[in-house]
Amino acid sequence: MFGLHKVPLKIEKGGISLHIKKEGEALVYKRESGSEKVEKTLLTSNDKILINPIEPVNTPKEITPYLLIHFEKALLIEPKITREVFVTFPVEIGIFVSQNEHFEICDIFTITKQKFTLYGDPRSGVICRYWGSKVHSSIPIGDPLKEGVLQLNIRNTTAKWIEVSKAVFNAYGMKIYYNDKKVSMKSELKLMGKGSAETDFIDSPLEKGMENSLELYTARKLAITTSKFMMEGGL
Amino acid sequence: MIPNAVVYGGVTILDLLIVVAIMVIAVFVSKWVAISLRRSLKDKVGREHLEIIRKIVSYSIIVIAIIWALTILGVNLSGLMVAGGIAGLVIGFASQSIVGNLVSGLFLMIERPIKIGDQVDIDQIRGFVEDIRIISTTVRTYDGLYVRIPNQKVFTTSITNYVGNVARRFGYVVGIRYSDDADKAIAIIKNLIEGYPFALKNPPPQAFVDNLGDNSVNIIVRVWAPITDWYGLKMELLWKIKKALEEEGIEIAFPQRVVWFANELKRQNTDKHELSGYDSP
Repeated sequence: MFGLHKVPLKIEKGGISLHIKKEGEALVYKRESGSEKVEKTLLTSNDKILINPIEPVNTPKEITPYLLIHFEKALLIEPKITREVFVTFPVEIGIFVSQNEHFEICDIFTITKQKFTLYGDPRSGVICRYWGSKVHSSIPIGDPLKEGVLQLNIRNTTAKWIEVSKAVFNAYGMKIYYNDKKVSMKSELKLMGKGSAETDFIDSPLEKGMENSLELYTARKLAITTSKFMMEGGL
Repeated sequence: MIPNAVVYGGVTILDLLIVVAIMVIAVFVSKWVAISLRRSLKDKVGREHLEIIRKIVSYSIIVIAIIWALTILGVNLSGLMVAGGIAGLVIGFASQSIVGNLVSGLFLMIERPIKIGDQVDIDQIRGFVEDIRIISTTVRTYDGLYVRIPNQKVFTTSITNYVGNVARRFGYVVGIRYSDDADKAIAIIKNLIEGYPFALKNPPPQAFVDNLGDNSVNIIVRVWAPITDWYGLKMELLWKIKKALEEEGIEIAFPQRVVWFANELKRQNTDKHELSGYDSP
């Protein structure tokens, strides 16, 4: 499903129905996923459509740039070591329409459960998109239309054992890669104390040959916007 | 010695030099303070308000320097002070509310309990903050009215900022019948809330039997939601809870009284007699 397509386009996969056809000088866009139905008329003469995973913080409404992944079982990490684990993250799909060399977002949807949570306290905390995941020691296999794989390099820089049950990520730093079978990201969780850590993304694919997604937040990122997230509201 | 040479009265050339030095230093200090104020307050205070604050502070420094210089030059300020005092008293009385509002406005800009766009309750005036000026604050009420509130009132009254935090809690009381299973009702409510994206996972929603009322078993439902979306969720959720409970055979209780008759048998006989229709001929 992911990749560059030409109109007319008809995709029926994993509960998603996507039809784009030409009508005169316009494109008629129809999408059904779950109980959601979207119809749009695109006044364009371009016929290239890009479908790729985007930062999972846009649906049902863009209210936060943060994603919180809650681990099903907490991890206890030895002092001064680095370990690599894999968790999953929700996939949101972006449909882009081409305009010469530039792509413009046309539709965003997901077939995963949407839920938000508060990280920290109501005064100084942040609202995050919530996702629960098992922690895997090897790359898990899943439906790329629903779940992506996040490689998490956990680095305990302290001299103490630290327990971690969640990680919060900033969408401004997400680097998403995809192929037919997987959607992936790589990240780092640097433990800096009993209750604090820093997360960041690594711009590299999980496997060779994976395509780089066209992200929404990366395009919007300003020089002053940080891609890291400082977790100070507990681990 | 030239510095001690008297120019007029008791004023020497040294005094004149000191006066010039005071004025030069005052000008430099006022400019430095103005620049520092601009840097430190540029993110906290609007541009037009910043200009007013900057002018007030820098002119005050110059005025203090002039008064100091005049005393060195031998000018007797007591007469001026008396006149100034009386004038100040008159002006002060005349403009005390304006000065009060002005000072309150300055403190509001520094303390920043509210920002433009916030949803607030100021002295029971509820709505969106449209503007915070040096003398007054304007609020657009939820029913679209323009309300101008003097800053002194804003500063001295209690302010509720509905969007001051990132999340907030709302709640309902759901009264079910005594014959219904409250555990089942709680499970249905929790399951329903779980399906709503904006009902936050953490802090977790609560549903519990709060009290055994006169007519119903009262279940308290509490949900946390993002401050941007709590009201939409609040409007939608209660009716969905009612429908979900009814689909499972649990009903919202009505006020009712069970009346026991002391002589039930006699009443039943009477009822039978009455229900038979009309009186026998």
